[in-house]
Amino acid sequence: MKISQILAISLQSLKSNRLRTGLTILGVVVGIFSIILIMTILTMLQNSIDEGLSSLSKNTFQIQKNDQVFGHGPRREDRNRKDLTIEEAYRLKEMLPQAKYVGVEQWVFGKVAKFGNKETNPNIQIAGVSTDAMKTNDWNVEFGRDLRENDIDHSTNVCLIFQPIAEKLFPNIDPIGQTIRVDGRPLKVIGVIEKQSALFGSSRDNIIILPITTWQSIFGKYNHSVNITVMTHSDKDYQSVMEAAIGYMRKIRKVAAGEPNDFYIFSNESMISEINKITDPIKIIALAISLIALIAAGVGIMNIMLVSVTERTREIGIRKALGARKTWILSQFLFEAIILCVIGGLIGIVIGVSLGNFAGSLIHAQAAIPWEWVFIGLGLCIAVGVIFGTYPAYKAANLDPIEALRYE
Amino acid sequence: MDAILFEFKEGLLIALRAIKANKIRAALTMLGIFIGVTAVVLMSTAIKGIDNSFQKGISALGSDVLYISKWAWFSNEEWWKMRNRPNITMEDYYEFKELAKLPLAVAPVANSVQTIKYGDRRVENIFLTGSNADYVKTTNFTFEQGRFYSDVESNSSRNVAVIGSEIYKKLFPRGDALDKTIKIGGVNYKVVGVLAKQGSTVLGPFNPDNQVFIPIGTIFKNFVSRHFNSITINVRARSPEMVQETKDEAESVMRKIRGLAYNEPDNFSINQQEALQEQYNSVVGVIQIAGLFITGLSLFVGAIGIMNIMFVSVKERTKEIGLRKAIGAKRRTILAQFLLESTVICLMGGLIGLIAAILLSLMLNQFFPTSIQWSVVLIAILISLLTGIISGLAPAYTAAKMDPVEALRYE
Repeated sequence: MKISQILAISLQSLKSNRLRTGLTILGVVVGIFSIILIMTILTMLQNSIDEGLSSLSKNTFQIQKNDQVFGHGPRREDRNRKDLTIEEAYRLKEMLPQAKYVGVEQWVFGKVAKFGNKETNPNIQIAGVSTDAMKTNDWNVEFGRDLRENDIDHSTNVCLIFQPIAEKLFPNIDPIGQTIRVDGRPLKVIGVIEKQSALFGSSRDNIIILPITTWQSIFGKYNHSVNITVMTHSDKDYQSVMEAAIGYMRKIRKVAAGEPNDFYIFSNESMISEINKITDPIKIIALAISLIALIAAGVGIMNIMLVSVTERTREIGIRKALGARKTWILSQFLFEAIILCVIGGLIGIVIGVSLGNFAGSLIHAQAAIPWEWVFIGLGLCIAVGVIFGTYPAYKAANLDPIEALRYE
Repeated sequence: MDAILFEFKEGLLIALRAIKANKIRAALTMLGIFIGVTAVVLMSTAIKGIDNSFQKGISALGSDVLYISKWAWFSNEEWWKMRNRPNITMEDYYEFKELAKLPLAVAPVANSVQTIKYGDRRVENIFLTGSNADYVKTTNFTFEQGRFYSDVESNSSRNVAVIGSEIYKKLFPRGDALDKTIKIGGVNYKVVGVLAKQGSTVLGPFNPDNQVFIPIGTIFKNFVSRHFNSITINVRARSPEMVQETKDEAESVMRKIRGLAYNEPDNFSINQQEALQEQYNSVVGVIQIAGLFITGLSLFVGAIGIMNIMFVSVKERTKEIGLRKAIGAKRRTILAQFLLESTVICLMGGLIGLIAAILLSLMLNQFFPTSIQWSVVLIAILISLLTGIISGLAPAYTAAKMDPVEALRYE
């Protein structure tokens, strides 16, 4: 007997009992819906968080002095690390021609910028950067000119400002060529950086950029560690460049073989894996709770399939008496269960994804279709169909034809 | 009346017989409801448990305590607007204590974070609270060993410490901490008291179990500068009803101390644990609703299962219904029969689910705070009753309105 014939029989018996089929499918729909809804919302939230925390551009990693552990200072054993310096960054740049850019940057937070009688809120971040760091940060100049090597070499008193700062300090005039003051130092504005995409979590539009040498002459060269940012040409050589960079940094900082690194490699992945440590258990708990409804639906399927086997005892007896094989009967009932589950699953997935996206849009998360969960959900449906359909199908297949025919 | 009672009895018997006749079917249907009820009850006990442990923790902070500090705890105001407020100093505290008449107790608090050592055991990043002997009156502390430091000890800035129960467990696994010398940030302190367990872990660093209390003079001497740090003034009202009055008085007293003109805004904040509560509610409230919704879905699935099976049952017994109607059974008799069947199944499933949930939550209690409430038990029973009635209604109605002639002819 062909599979298509068995399938046809299953479909026909499903059609003949529309109400029953509909209610059973509804059970599966709700079961899958609960999983997909939760997973869609969690995926949307996670995407927003990941994007918000992705403080680096693509294919970029950063070498820092210390690990960033949430809520703590540096670890006890790391407190005596030497600061990273500009010189180390330049040596690394020479040694690492395979990297696209090797930038160096330094930050200070909570400063005020003044122009005439206007001043910003004291939440300005001041970045001291090399020309390469402009590229690794993906800062594009909208008006005026970019930072030049000259500015770095001669530590000229110039700065680039972000669009919102320009709007605040220069509502009516062209900012280029004007002089603002930060911590009393006059700085000539040479360029305005285009507005950054709004990110969930961190505000990155209140930055003033100086040549790193100028930064150090204002805020001090010592007791400040620089960050070295490395951007690779593509994600293919990301790993190899990172490994090479680690090797060269160990050489530059004279770390003996066998000693651990005395610096920390920070990448978007390292941040995201840090976050996943928190979100993974939440996901597992949510999955476990939302699975309960699917199991309840499975029990419902099993129940209805058992009824269906009992009702069709005579039919099974006749088919067996006419020479139907056990496997045919088995697969007929199994198919019935699986078809119920897959139809219910598909509907549940559609409703779950759309309602999840609706709920997510209320909290302004980005729309997302959690493809892996769509497939996991479908897989779960089939699994439920098989698990809860097997016993009734087995019972049908093992009916004694004589007894079955006599059944009243 | 008698007739209705009789019908009820008869219907119940028929329902029970029908359930007995189809044991597997009834058991599976019950399992569906059982899963739903267990999930919902377990979820609500877990939610209640977390809630209780938070409430317990927050009451360790005292619901009638006000915290006068430079910064607001949770505020939409930009931080730089509060940055230029003057620090709250010990002098502010002395004046406040002099002028405020309503409070039960007033205590100055300065904090630091230090490593605590005893022998070769150490605990890091411990929240250190420096205050005076009045501090204990602003709390509900109970002691496992010893006492809080005295007036004499705090006024003369002796190096004495009271440690929280968690720290006690970590530093003194063999017990008896009294009169032992611990090192706080490298400075020797004598332990004069150990707190009994107070709060719960949900409070994080605010949890008194994870704190060490020392005289405020020694915290200024050893850890933080009294000139560059703002202290907090803890003010306890005489009773929870007087919190608002005490708060109003505290505000006017502080304004007087600061010499603020009538049109100047406060340059200090008076915090209350209510702010903490609101934060908690806004986060946990969403989780609670989501949890109940998701577990509610499984109950819904169970209800669909019952409805489905009841339809089957009605169809199977079409002939029987026809027969009963033909010899004079009323519509409501048939309706009651099927409704009773579905309700009995639901109630049994629900009760078993309830027992399972209670047992499970008692087991879970070892790792996780859960709390069973009688209201939850009642609601669970009510829900399973309602589920039975609602999901039985449509099939029972179908059965009740059958035409006896057609039904008898049914093959």
